[in-house]
Amino acid sequence: MEGFGEHLREVRERRRAVDNSFSVRQLAARVGVEPSYLSKVERGQQPPPSEKTIAALASELDEDPDVLLALAGKVSGDLQSIIRRRPKLFADLIRQLKDMPDHAVLRLVREVRDGEW
Amino acid sequence: MIELAENQLRFSFPDVHPDAELTIEFQRTLRIPDDGNDYPLPPGLGNFPVQHVDDHAGAVPSKWLQHGGVMLPMFQSEAMWLNFDSAWVDGHDVAYPFAIQVATGKQCAVSGESWSDRLTRSPQNYMVAPEQPWLDGFVVEKGCVRQFVAMPLGAGYSAEEQLTGEAVHGGLQLAVYPMKRRVFERRFPKVQRRMKSEQEFMCMSMPCASAPDMGLAPGGRMKQEIYSDPYALNDWQIEARGRCFVHLCNSMVWQSVTGVMPPHPAPTAKTYTESGLPWYEYYDDSMTAVNGTSTLGGLKSVTQIGAQKGEIVLPENESVTPDNLVVFRKGLSKGQVREGAF
Repeated sequence: MEGFGEHLREVRERRRAVDNSFSVRQLAARVGVEPSYLSKVERGQQPPPSEKTIAALASELDEDPDVLLALAGKVSGDLQSIIRRRPKLFADLIRQLKDMPDHAVLRLVREVRDGEW
Repeated sequence: MIELAENQLRFSFPDVHPDAELTIEFQRTLRIPDDGNDYPLPPGLGNFPVQHVDDHAGAVPSKWLQHGGVMLPMFQSEAMWLNFDSAWVDGHDVAYPFAIQVATGKQCAVSGESWSDRLTRSPQNYMVAPEQPWLDGFVVEKGCVRQFVAMPLGAGYSAEEQLTGEAVHGGLQLAVYPMKRRVFERRFPKVQRRMKSEQEFMCMSMPCASAPDMGLAPGGRMKQEIYSDPYALNDWQIEARGRCFVHLCNSMVWQSVTGVMPPHPAPTAKTYTESGLPWYEYYDDSMTAVNGTSTLGGLKSVTQIGAQKGEIVLPENESVTPDNLVVFRKGLSKGQVREGAF
């Protein structure tokens, strides 16, 4: 599986091919880190950054933050707090869903949404 | 939680009881003649296709997105009925009981009152499943409903417009409340079973250019009893309510919204009857029917309003004589003599 840095570089380079504002320097400035640090992260010489920086990178690069976090070996803070509230229930649930096909998992999240009447 | 699966709405309440599950289907049917006669129940011709409104966010009115829920296509003057199916609870040998509120344009189809987040007994503004298997229309008097017939919202025919003078909500609103678990277990204790033989066991096993909103209007009369709640009001788990807004999308624009064709219109009552196909009656002799309210009793039918306006809105409305009648009779114990009206 592709690592976090490798994926980040690939996505950023793809965006830079059509938009120069996706250079390491400019992207680093927008997410609030040093360009040299971002460059090292991309080359795997530094571990992935904090959740906050990953969320900012996801937003800049139009990537799914949960997917970027997973590539970085992290789980978002909101998911962690959901699991911490009912750890046994969610641990059991996730283990049960582990081998379930995608369409079956999708059915679980296809709850009918209620709104304002 | 409410899920949409195979064009059915499945209300489940795992926090209350693992078997507390009610499925509601929207059945296509033929329109009975709106001629003042009382007809038997028409057949089910399969489910209407149902889709999440969120899946068509770019093509439905913003009001629909605000309401959330689902949508289904109906042609003008097409009819529908609702099927309630509560899950069987093994060991207790009963289906799990639910209280169900049904409103059209946010006017209760049983009491005629405006939508309320509360269940009331007097007048009763809900039905009880599994005792009530179906609802075909507005309860206009004891033992009689006027069929749900789709009409464009704003044309003046819908029950909502007749009752409120406004065409604001349209659609169909549903709320479902499960029976409290401790009440269920007390009322329906576990059944001691004899061992079954293997054989017995086997036997059991783009925003719309035109307004797509439809409202439900009172059509022809048919014989259907809506049963009085046999339980106590306090037996229902009010805070566990699941509710859903069902938007009725004019079939003429359904394809532009969803990309798929709506079903063909149903056959006429005349064609159906002349083919010798069955009509139905259902009675539960162990239950008491609610009296209709004067609010719904005062509704005018689509044909009556059409006549006032000088419009012919129900084509092929000829009277029919259903010959092939299938009667379901429930609730008589063995040997019990049924008492009729006299």
